[in-house]
Amino acid sequence: MTPQLLINGISLGSVYALIAVGFALIFNILKFSNFSHGGLMSVTAYIGYVACVFLGHYIKDLPLFVVTLVAAALGGGLLALVVERVAFRRLRNSNSSVIYYFISSITMGILMENSITIFASSNFYSYPSFFPASVIRFGALSVAIPDLLTFLFSAAALVILLVVLFRTKIGLAIRSTSFDTSTAKLMGMDPNRVVAATFFASGVLGGVAGVFLGINYTLYPQLGQLIVKGFVASVIGGLGSISGALIGAVLLGVVEIFLIGLVGAGWSPVVIFVIMLVFLLLRPRGISGVIVQEKA
Amino acid sequence: MLSIENLHVAYGPVHALEGISLEVPRGQIISIIGSNGAGKTTLLNTICALIRQKSGTIKFEGRELSRFTHQIVKLGIVQVPEGRKVFAGLTVRENLMAGGYVLKEALRLQQNIEKMFDLYPILRDRQNQQAGTLSGGEQQMLAICRGLMAEPKLLLLDEPSLGLGPIIVNGVFQLIRRIREQGITVVLVEQNARKALALCNYAYVLENGKIAMRGQGRELLCDAAIKKAYLGECS
Repeated sequence: MTPQLLINGISLGSVYALIAVGFALIFNILKFSNFSHGGLMSVTAYIGYVACVFLGHYIKDLPLFVVTLVAAALGGGLLALVVERVAFRRLRNSNSSVIYYFISSITMGILMENSITIFASSNFYSYPSFFPASVIRFGALSVAIPDLLTFLFSAAALVILLVVLFRTKIGLAIRSTSFDTSTAKLMGMDPNRVVAATFFASGVLGGVAGVFLGINYTLYPQLGQLIVKGFVASVIGGLGSISGALIGAVLLGVVEIFLIGLVGAGWSPVVIFVIMLVFLLLRPRGISGVIVQEKA
Repeated sequence: MLSIENLHVAYGPVHALEGISLEVPRGQIISIIGSNGAGKTTLLNTICALIRQKSGTIKFEGRELSRFTHQIVKLGIVQVPEGRKVFAGLTVRENLMAGGYVLKEALRLQQNIEKMFDLYPILRDRQNQQAGTLSGGEQQMLAICRGLMAEPKLLLLDEPSLGLGPIIVNGVFQLIRRIREQGITVVLVEQNARKALALCNYAYVLENGKIAMRGQGRELLCDAAIKKAYLGECS
């Protein structure tokens, strides 16, 4: 029983990790919490849904699932580019204070959610089931296939991101710009390109997360508000730290699954927010302990 | 190589530079000395387009400079900023790679990293260490090497001796001399006026945003007014 809950928790945590890392990427580079990420996830969940309904006539099962994920990921990436252009580029060019970024990101999130309500109504939709709800047995353990695939694809997306960040030129530019924008410019890095690339990466992760959220919770316009879980994970792990976001997200997933078993689904969010508050009060820099450096 | 004409820069109502004109000939070291707040850093940042000028022109090899910092770097003007500003959480090697960001070929990048390791061998031993763990002097050397990675034609150094002990300061100035020997033109902004004047071909003295004096480095070293104001000697 217990190891199985652990596996469920890790699977859920890996989706939270997609959200939290997408969040942390933007936080790192622009030093603000991008709440429009929630709206973006809602939109990508619908993009994935439309893709899989249309393509469901031609392909099935695993290929359909992969195509759905890719469509949502690309859609998310492109949408994030639009969001950056519309909501943040002018603010950056005029060196606006952080409060404007907040307002702009919340506005953008609301705009996206309500656009969905207009075009797709506020009805609930549900993804077709890609796989028979069967389980794989490893000795005494049984793992549900959807959980396993959620974990595998989320982990794959995160590994790709880490490779890009740590092994490519644009990744180096993203990390340098996160540390110090002006000095990165003096290295010949184009801030507009770097920020756009960061938003694209964040949007791709948001897109993959959107599909998994849609599968787990059914589709509705406010689906993206589960961004809050990503935010909680970021706080626990340490805002602005990629590794912290990963650790925080997996921990959050596991704790949440255990809490649902222990106190029920109603009380579990309450306990989780209490945990977050305790972190904010006692250890605001989170588990990873990176203090976000002031831009000098 | 670089010529600045009648440059005015203001931060809101405060004038930082008022009508600066100067010439930087190829292959030389030009020093700019002056006290805190004289406008030295502002001048360098304006050349690099981190700050926009109110009026005046900056020409590099006869052409007016772009308004975008990253494009200026591609033309061959690289600034090593005041206070070193190494990327503390990146490794030494990654800092050098960041410096070589404008290079097109991966092979050149590797070759240049090797050159920097030869120039300052401590960097080779520490290449996988986070740059923030280096000492102040090592960070300064890394910052200069990071600047050289882009193969600049013109290197702008902002207070490279700031906050460093005398031995490492000598090392920094030796490195600057070697940079000139490689044919790279240098603009050196310094508070350590004595060393800067001794090293440079030509110097400008900046006071309250204006050029107060100019001349050959050695001439200025002997000038009574300079001695009194910047070299701390009573005449």
